[in-house]
Amino acid sequence: MSAAVLAMTDAGYVAAGWVATIALLGGYAAAVIRRGRRLSRAVPPEERRWS
Amino acid sequence: MTPTTPAAPTSTASPLTRVLGILSAAGLVLVAWLGLVASPRDAVQKDAVRLMYVHVPAVTWMYVAVFVCAFASFMWLRKRSDGWDTLAAAAAEIALVLTALGLFTGSVWGRPTWGVYWVWDARLTSTAILFVLLLGYQALRRYPAEPESRSRMAAVLGLLLVPNAAIVHYSVDWWRSLHQDATVSKIDVSIEGNMLFTLAVSFVVMGIVCAWLLVHRFRTGWLERAAERHHLDAALAERRADADPSAGVAVGGAR
Repeated sequence: MSAAVLAMTDAGYVAAGWVATIALLGGYAAAVIRRGRRLSRAVPPEERRWS
Repeated sequence: MTPTTPAAPTSTASPLTRVLGILSAAGLVLVAWLGLVASPRDAVQKDAVRLMYVHVPAVTWMYVAVFVCAFASFMWLRKRSDGWDTLAAAAAEIALVLTALGLFTGSVWGRPTWGVYWVWDARLTSTAILFVLLLGYQALRRYPAEPESRSRMAAVLGLLLVPNAAIVHYSVDWWRSLHQDATVSKIDVSIEGNMLFTLAVSFVVMGIVCAWLLVHRFRTGWLERAAERHHLDAALAERRADADPSAGVAVGGAR
């Protein structure tokens, strides 16, 4: 896939857009999940039962 | 035999989020393959068109997140329940992430197609204003005020996001803009079959990713409230015990 990207016209712009998308969504998801884990330790079990 | 209660989860994960998470990861790999390898290059834009598969779904789901926030804000104003308030806060945060993504990918797409990263035209400027409003919403949520009044102010701002989102959407029809008119909503058959298929898949995958993020973010917000309440209860009990040690013993004994 990386070879296909390098062979493109405007490869830098395409790569920047895709990398930013994956990085921002991935980074945000990781931050939310980490915050959820930290908060789970601060509340009693009956407050964190997900159906 | 006594029934056993399953242990409470130590995170915001559940079977639902695991399924959504797996679908999100697999979907993103599929979209990357379709968007970067399998779909053809455009006759005019060449390979820069591949930015469409991240930019257009991000902006479309941004609108959805804004409307979810506004609807939850409206429902909170009517019902005053924690659930609606938490949903509004979660949707607004996701809308902020998607707006940032839309602005960045749009800017990066603009450079090879328009020759500039940024121009102060109606679509771009109204999107930037929406981004600032969403940043303001986050600041409001963190403002040290009484929770009820903070939620009320956030709900009003949440409702005000809708006219701005409408201005963003219709700006290309109302004013002369460098940005192209809406094409997908008009079912423009000029989009090539493989490109249209890739765009449709990227819409679905971005929707799954947003749903996964929304569930996690909602639960995180719910835990924040529970932790705040728990902390407040503990502080009040401590204060009462300090003021009247015998009452503290009585409370402890009652438990």
